[in-house]
Amino acid sequence: MTTVVTDNCLKCKFTECVSSCPVSAFRAGEDMLFIDPDVCIDCGACISKCPVKAIYEDLDLPDEMTHWVDINANESKKWPKITLKQLPFEGANDRKVALGF
Amino acid sequence: MNFSVEDGVLTSVTGNPQHPITRGGLCVKLKDFAKHHYNPDRILYPQRRVGPKGSGQYERISWEEALQEISSKWNSIIDDYGSQAILNCCYLGNQGVINGLTSGDAFFNRLGATVSEKTFCASGSSTGYVMTIGPTGGVDPESFLYSKLIVIWGQNTMSTNLHQWPIYQEARAKGAKIVVIDPQRTRTAKEADVHIRLKPGTDAAFALGVMYVLITENLVDQDYIDKYTHGYEELKNRVINDYGVDRVAEITGLTVQEIQNFAREYATTQPCVIRMGVAPERNRNGGQSIRAICSLPALVGAWRHVGGGLLEMPLWEFPLKYEEMCRPDFIKPGTRVANITQLGKVLEEFQYPQIKSLFVNNSNPVSQAGYSSKLESQLKKEDLFLVVSEHFITDTAKYADVLLPATMQAEQLEVMLAWGHFYLTYNEKAIEPPGECVSNSELFRRLAKAMGFNDSYWDRTDYEMLDDFIDWSSPRLEGWNMERLREVGYVSLAGATPDKRLPHAEGNFPTPTGKCEFLTTQADKGNFVVPVWRSMYEGMQTGEPIDPLPEWLPMRESPTSNPELAKKYPLNIVTPKAHAFLNSQYANEKNQQQRQGEQTVTIHPQDAEARGIVAGQLVRVFNDRGSFKGKAKLSDDTLPGLVVAILGYWHEHNHGSSVNSISSNEFSNLGHAPSFSDNLVQVELAV
Repeated sequence: MTTVVTDNCLKCKFTECVSSCPVSAFRAGEDMLFIDPDVCIDCGACISKCPVKAIYEDLDLPDEMTHWVDINANESKKWPKITLKQLPFEGANDRKVALGF
Repeated sequence: MNFSVEDGVLTSVTGNPQHPITRGGLCVKLKDFAKHHYNPDRILYPQRRVGPKGSGQYERISWEEALQEISSKWNSIIDDYGSQAILNCCYLGNQGVINGLTSGDAFFNRLGATVSEKTFCASGSSTGYVMTIGPTGGVDPESFLYSKLIVIWGQNTMSTNLHQWPIYQEARAKGAKIVVIDPQRTRTAKEADVHIRLKPGTDAAFALGVMYVLITENLVDQDYIDKYTHGYEELKNRVINDYGVDRVAEITGLTVQEIQNFAREYATTQPCVIRMGVAPERNRNGGQSIRAICSLPALVGAWRHVGGGLLEMPLWEFPLKYEEMCRPDFIKPGTRVANITQLGKVLEEFQYPQIKSLFVNNSNPVSQAGYSSKLESQLKKEDLFLVVSEHFITDTAKYADVLLPATMQAEQLEVMLAWGHFYLTYNEKAIEPPGECVSNSELFRRLAKAMGFNDSYWDRTDYEMLDDFIDWSSPRLEGWNMERLREVGYVSLAGATPDKRLPHAEGNFPTPTGKCEFLTTQADKGNFVVPVWRSMYEGMQTGEPIDPLPEWLPMRESPTSNPELAKKYPLNIVTPKAHAFLNSQYANEKNQQQRQGEQTVTIHPQDAEARGIVAGQLVRVFNDRGSFKGKAKLSDDTLPGLVVAILGYWHEHNHGSSVNSISSNEFSNLGHAPSFSDNLVQVELAV
């Protein structure tokens, strides 16, 4: 069981979530964040922090998004740990509006 | 916790973002906690058994009928056998001042029942701890921010003390090192800088071996020892004579270097702090393990520093009037005591009178007490009148003659104690209880009335009881009262800010000598259970002789100490707490079952191979006491010779049994702690 970041994070990277993680499971990919499933303890503290609702617990994932489980598992191994909030991408706020949030 | 309510419905439960410990997040166990209140399986009304015992067949009755049935049955038992034929089994299913551990104590003391000794968890620690450093909260969990060496001893922090982990991370970012002492490579051990994998049941030997290095290499703080400790010369002789580092290496399975390295680092990295879990108490030598570990900080003068010392029991910081809560003055001198961790044995063996009625609340002993197979056979007896107050028909509740519906946390007013921080917390009632559920406080008010007790104890509202039971005159609560606590929500009891708190920089230990007692001055009274775990009753302590110095004794059941038994049952077993359940609570929730996964039996690959067991196969774990099944998980996260199976699965979801079917109901050597981790088993493929 784990928590996963999905495509709403792409090009946003608000990073509101990272400081809420008690075990530092977030990894900073180039375009988005990922969660390392071997570190995540499934507490869900990050889920409500995301302004674009990109984070799901795996058992709540809509069917069309289940591939994000593997993507997080693989990509999280390639990128560095992120524990402090950073500036979002330029245009992230526009994208947030476009996503309906 | 923040409860969100819309139109009288609890919609979510979250952490309070302003709270320094939760920082807005709850632990995994409380995910979906709001929905848990609306689980369709909840017991909403009093019910009477209509089928055979254990069949789970019940009919709804009114509270009036339930109280009538209970009181008439009890009155007739009292007439025929005496009031001590009645026993309460209560633990910490609810935690808090009026609905928790002691919620029924005053009632059952007034009734004249056999006094219940409730030692499931931390009683061995309590006795060992109190004998060594006294009832002190020790290091504030928030002061760990200033520690340079954090030693997590027998605790899987990321599963059972999650809110402490971010503090460790912060300390680590400032250069602190984390050492985990645990036979298992737990998820916490995987994140540590150093993992010391000793054999189970050897914690005391390791601590004494560390002392040997500290003493022989002159790494002790002699000034602190001279001023603030008692019995150093005696301890030194014991350690030098009996716990040479070579012997300790052999006992613990560690290398001499591992022991030396740890001791040197522990002495020279200040402030160093030990966060002790409950695990070290769960074997025959458990109490003395706690004594040995509690002695370490004083030897190196760790208490001199902010963030240096030891933490296990924040409980002792909470200023509560236990005598007024429990009313031990109601107990007739000479009243006997029954230890409910041995409930099966008590029901089977107690005579003159036998236990004729058992009242269970806040607990699920079939899941949590040792030798559960024996307990289940006793609960089936036709002449035992069993009343259970519960949320669900648990593995225990299914044997009840009368079921009573109990409230959950959002449905009751309470003030909370804590095991992981120093805040006294107000829990506001957020929603009306469903159906006819009542809080424990109300339950005992009703029972008191039904039994004709006119004492003013049961005339108070919850608010009044809380106000009476909290010691507002404590210096820690200066300027506080119920109204202010209600308004603010929580208050720190630390007495100083985390960057300043120094509880024992100058001794000041709440022991008879005022010092850290390596040599206890309390040995003459023999073994005892700290009164808070037994209705504040001081009588009928068993007083077995105890060694006044920390010692190591081998486990009751292990291949080296009991080779005869090990011929049949060659593997030791430990049964840790779950990640997604709180003991057996929440283990009936589908989502929590998915988060936790099914019952596994982790076995070392070489032990699996010797038994022809392949990963994923269903295996049976058994000994003469009982058996349970789980899916084999092959991993060197466990040591050869040791299997691991998580506690808490309900029998109905778990092939009809669970881990405590194989555990003994023997005690550790101090405080009557159960020896859950001192058991031998065999594992075979299930057929």
